[in-house]
Amino acid sequence: MKDLELVGDVTDFLLLEAELADASAYDEWLALWDDPCTYWVPCNLDDYDPTKHVSIIYDDRARLEERCFRLTAGGAHSQEPRSKVCRVVGNIRVVNPHGEDDTVEATARTILVELRLGRKSVYAARVHYTLRRTPEGFKLRHKKVLLLDADEPLGNMTFLI
Amino acid sequence: MADYAALVQPDRVHSAVFTSEDIYKDELEKIFYRYWVYVAHESEIPRPGDYCTKWIGEKQLIVSRAADGSIGIFFNRCRHRGAAVCMDEYGNANFFRCPYHGWTYNSAGDLVGVPYPSRYGEGFDKSTLGLARVPRVDTSAGFIFASMAPDGPPLAEHLGKAAGFLADFVKASPLGTVSLSAGTSKSAFWGNWKFVGMDGYHTNFTHKTVLDLRQRKAGASYNRGAGNSDKSANESWDLGNGHCRLDLTGRDKVAIGAASNTSIAAGIPDNADGHEYMRLMSEAYGDGAHEVIRRSRDVHIHVWPNLQLIGSQVRVIRPLAAGHTEVMSYPAMLDGVPDSINTERIRSFEWFSGVASFGTPDDTEVFERNQIGLRADYIPWLVLARGLTVAPQEDGSTVGNVTDEVPQRAQMKAWLRSMTSPEVS
Repeated sequence: MKDLELVGDVTDFLLLEAELADASAYDEWLALWDDPCTYWVPCNLDDYDPTKHVSIIYDDRARLEERCFRLTAGGAHSQEPRSKVCRVVGNIRVVNPHGEDDTVEATARTILVELRLGRKSVYAARVHYTLRRTPEGFKLRHKKVLLLDADEPLGNMTFLI
Repeated sequence: MADYAALVQPDRVHSAVFTSEDIYKDELEKIFYRYWVYVAHESEIPRPGDYCTKWIGEKQLIVSRAADGSIGIFFNRCRHRGAAVCMDEYGNANFFRCPYHGWTYNSAGDLVGVPYPSRYGEGFDKSTLGLARVPRVDTSAGFIFASMAPDGPPLAEHLGKAAGFLADFVKASPLGTVSLSAGTSKSAFWGNWKFVGMDGYHTNFTHKTVLDLRQRKAGASYNRGAGNSDKSANESWDLGNGHCRLDLTGRDKVAIGAASNTSIAAGIPDNADGHEYMRLMSEAYGDGAHEVIRRSRDVHIHVWPNLQLIGSQVRVIRPLAAGHTEVMSYPAMLDGVPDSINTERIRSFEWFSGVASFGTPDDTEVFERNQIGLRADYIPWLVLARGLTVAPQEDGSTVGNVTDEVPQRAQMKAWLRSMTSPEVS
């Protein structure tokens, strides 16, 4: 029997995360994340060991805070003007309702259109989320974004993926 | 053809050098398909039968290690009707078989199999139909270079003073070798390939947020931007032949002498792996280990035309059009060190480099704005006059303040020579 209430709660959270990322609402977006946490966008291949292989993004909590600080401090030319981003999160599935540390694991697909300086780019990704249950609701423990283009030459990816 | 000498003046360069498609095509012929260019690293094809595919300009190449261990570079094109015979970026194979009619080549590029050969008649000589080979291949400190000109100065002569920095770069490993085994950060931008240079003047402006982040970490003690100003002891160098570098050690020069070990060790973790790394380095290089590490870490060089070594990073520049460039970046892993030392090199690479990092995206943003600006060529000149009066030293190097346009002028000088010289010189 599916726990439809859990699927609904997870869906609400993932869509909120997507909305805040689209809106470049860096503070509110950062507030969704757990401490510690990992924001991982692998490079070249999906399952490379990040201790032995370069990633497009491999942020721990401290680096994630640096990322958001950088994008709000002024002078991040690659986001001035900011990217306009519109993403759809679909195919949401709870793949493990009872993960370690009172977490829920979910997967989804994202199609993301970015518009900046008159140029439109389309990205697609499989995304793996680990959400920790807290009294205040879910916190994002891990987000792993498997870009379709992870092994292709990419342009400016400084928007929130 | 354009009057190149009129486009490159001692203190200025014309926008057409960056925006003209005709000039881009001529650059491929005169520079990339003629002079020594960096192609691959030995660690990408360590064993016999290993191969990787790379590009020089618009031509795809197979870099292959033959059974005898020698390195051959071949054009990725079947000698029969031209199909590419290899589609993988990396692999190991005894043979490359064309998918079209089954012609088969070994890893030394020899044509070893042709289906139904009887219909070619007598005189058909397979030995003349091997994969076309790039005529000159040579290596320096594990870096593989190629030249499509059958004759010309040897690689060592082309590299000149740059060779010492390639050697310094790999010595951060106690074995003296690095591996490009940690993958490739692949990027492209809509701007000219020559914008990827050595520039000590842009740091405080283009990388404002990097200074913000360093200041955030270091607090009030951070001497913001001091190393990148006209008051800095840091330097910009013209090494000859278009090779140039930045020397960013100026601020530490006083500290680095005999009692300098603490400032060098500052970047090495104070834990078991860090101590083990230092032990291995002392075993390999004796009392000079700290100096070896410092020199390696401070490598910040552009090897004309398409290779940069920056700290722990190998960066390769490939022009795709006048206004379109691909950059492949590799964090160089040190052979023979504890794993965590290399993990730290990867994390440090990701911080500044790569398409979603805190450093290089701001550079490429500027390069794209260059390409927009240069089209507004009512007054077409770019000014490269900073430090113009700095005189060359006795050994031929020119050394200026870090913010001087010494590297830009060095590259345009080499560019002009290549574009106007009838022969490889």
